[in-house]
Amino acid sequence: MTTDVHALAGAYALHALSDIERGAFARHLAECESCAHEVAELQETAARLADGAWSVPPPRLRANVLAEIRQTRQAPPGHADRPARASASTAGGRRRRSLALAAAAAAVLAAGTGTVSYVAQEQRVRDERATAEALRAEAAQIEAVLAASDAQLRSAPVTGGGQITMVLSESLDEGVVMLSGARPPGAGKAYQLWFVAAGGPDSRGVMTSGEGGATKLIKKVRGMDTLGVTIEPDDGSAKTPNAPLVASVPVQV
Amino acid sequence: MSDSANDGSRRADHLSAVPPLTPDPAMEANELLRAVARGDEAAFERLYDLVAPRVYGLARRVLRDPAQAEEVAQEVLVEVWRTASRFDPARGSATAWVFTIAHRRAVDRVRSEQAGAERARRLAAAQGETPYDEVVDQATAHLEQQQVRRCIQTLTGLQREAITLAYYGGYTYREVAELLGTALPTIKTRMRDGLIRLRDCLGVEVTA
Repeated sequence: MTTDVHALAGAYALHALSDIERGAFARHLAECESCAHEVAELQETAARLADGAWSVPPPRLRANVLAEIRQTRQAPPGHADRPARASASTAGGRRRRSLALAAAAAAVLAAGTGTVSYVAQEQRVRDERATAEALRAEAAQIEAVLAASDAQLRSAPVTGGGQITMVLSESLDEGVVMLSGARPPGAGKAYQLWFVAAGGPDSRGVMTSGEGGATKLIKKVRGMDTLGVTIEPDDGSAKTPNAPLVASVPVQV
Repeated sequence: MSDSANDGSRRADHLSAVPPLTPDPAMEANELLRAVARGDEAAFERLYDLVAPRVYGLARRVLRDPAQAEEVAQEVLVEVWRTASRFDPARGSATAWVFTIAHRRAVDRVRSEQAGAERARRLAAAQGETPYDEVVDQATAHLEQQQVRRCIQTLTGLQREAITLAYYGGYTYREVAELLGTALPTIKTRMRDGLIRLRDCLGVEVTA
């Protein structure tokens, strides 16, 4: 019987037992220390499956939850409720962002950090640590742009498929550009970003070589009329666009 | 962040107890949850940003209905605030604690509402579900998500089906056995050895 009950550890961790069985198993757990440890690990594992269900919640959920917790007393031994602090109200400014922007920002951020980690894996050779730190710093800058109170969202389709999405912050003079679902540019080629203004186009960097999807932080965005995108050699040798524009994102609307 | 910031001391200590960017998100969640237990709303906001897409995503995956998923996600997140002081780091990570509450709530909701057959139909119909927002497609690049998916692929077919039907479908192991036309003891065993394989693939450890 004991072995029988013990075999339920997986189902227990997955919340796949009926209430009666669950109660029986919980009693078994209380008497079996090694089982308790196994179950703790299986529960920890099962919870990781939540990673596979990642989905951006509606932005109003954040406001609703925060409003509700401000009126919800915490169970002991927590401290009594405190009034919101200055830092909380600063963070609250973020809630002013539009629905689309918040959803896009969360997605860009997720995509950005994912890319960052992947690049780190591929380059694991020597200076992995230095690379990871630089990328982490970039991820933090990306996060700052997305969280900026003046962040603005722009997007446009890419010729041949895919979309280019851009979040710009005037106050930080930085932007985050995300290319998604575009055709791979071919070996030795990459999508290159151009700052288009009255003075002519000026490169704002090259996306990942050979990839049709990537996230990039760009600087010096003030005064930009349009973000242009072309396919160029992946070494950034193009100083002016040589190829036709495959996307053009107007900044002013 | 440590216990050395003695409680009831200056406010500045509390603020600095929440660092701007901790490299390891799992550690960050543990620290944030401890701050939340002390009533720190700013820490709660940060914790929210860290866990809400998975809490909501999980509720949505299990319940299939965005409106109900939103309701459940809100209940769960408020519950996290309310009961943060009950989190015991010796029994697992803060994120696991949060997602266990989320999964339990979603499963309870599904069992209280629907017959298994109806859910099976909807589960089948929901293959390749449309994303919440087209930009959200990008979230599939999320590293943790890919790690979980990769590890799920290392399971045998039966392990994978048993675990995903139970976890994402909200089915009991009896229902899973019925859906898969497999004997109960086999399903029990596959759930356990499948989770053990996932645990090893993901490198999950609980050091009590």
